Amino acid sequence: MSQKNQHDRNHHASIATSIGDPQCFKGKGGTPKFKEGDSVRIKDLPDLFYSRCQVYTRGAVGRVTKLVYESPAAEDESWDNTDKPEWFYSVVFKQKDLWPEYGDLYANDTLETEFSERWLEKP
Amino acid sequence: MSEHDHKPAPMVDEVSDFEILEMAVRELAIEKGLFSAEDHRIWTEYVHTLGPLPASRLVAKAWLDPKYKKLAVTDGVEASKAVGVDWVNSPPTKFGTPSDYCNLRVLEDTPTLKHVVVCTLCSCYPRPILGQSPEWYRTPNYRRRLVRWPRQVLAEFGLQLPPEVQIRVADSNQKTRYMVMPVRPEGTEGWTEDQLAEIVTRDCLIGVAVPKPGVTSNAKRPVHKAIHPVHHHDHGS
Repeated sequence: MSQKNQHDRNHHASIATSIGDPQCFKGKGGTPKFKEGDSVRIKDLPDLFYSRCQVYTRGAVGRVTKLVYESPAAEDESWDNTDKPEWFYSVVFKQKDLWPEYGDLYANDTLETEFSERWLEKP
Repeated sequence: MSEHDHKPAPMVDEVSDFEILEMAVRELAIEKGLFSAEDHRIWTEYVHTLGPLPASRLVAKAWLDPKYKKLAVTDGVEASKAVGVDWVNSPPTKFGTPSDYCNLRVLEDTPTLKHVVVCTLCSCYPRPILGQSPEWYRTPNYRRRLVRWPRQVLAEFGLQLPPEVQIRVADSNQKTRYMVMPVRPEGTEGWTEDQLAEIVTRDCLIGVAVPKPGVTSNAKRPVHKAIHPVHHHDHGS
């Protein structure tokens, strides 16, 4: 059994140099599950080791404003697993749906942030 | 005063655990040969040459040229080239750094929509076009509070907006980096690109201020002294 005894630290540089990241993962995320305008709920998945999905968004329902790029999810990329890129979505929430005490006077206020596809589900 | 023989005061009140950690990891990486001290010096000097001027220029150009504005809001990386910033090829690594991914999104304000940028995770910031983030941008205080109490935090920066204006906080916690394109203020009719660029300050580009004719610098931030400062010397009083 052949086994590399040293991790290939130059892997990322070799795929991204002169192309850019996330550009180097373009076309590798498959068919997107959601489209602009869709309502989505943020799942509350376990995040034992690493995540960039903020806890304040878990369980909240928002609307997809934009499919932004394809990339490995942060949970994979943090361990240099880059073989399963997925679509990323920009999602906008009503602030009142994130923070129960948010003032009624400012009910129009919103917050926008990004998620990899694995964090989203139909509400 | 008989204090002239005391040691000089420390340069900073506190050195954070993270700064000590960074130095330790950097020295280990150099010893292991992952990069050299020279590489580190070149990179550090490079990032200190960056500043917010290209972003100010981008906004001024967009105010004057509707076609360029459209490009800026649809493809920030492409629009950056017109102001001398090549996200993919300029930095020494030629693929961005892990914290400067090559995806810039320009958030366009309208009279009823005001964007403001934060990174709740740490300090993501569009450094190739804005330079180093201000110290307050990286503080837990700003990051924690802006997402939840944006109006209160903006008020502390001197920006009070009526309820009809929707505030949209952009939390840059993945690979997109955001900058704000504020509304062109009244009183700037007939101005040149140079004149307009001058009033688009760093704070306007983060979204904690709006441009005003005559205002060409960031407002002074209040200084909050450390609650538990480091005492390097006992004055024996």
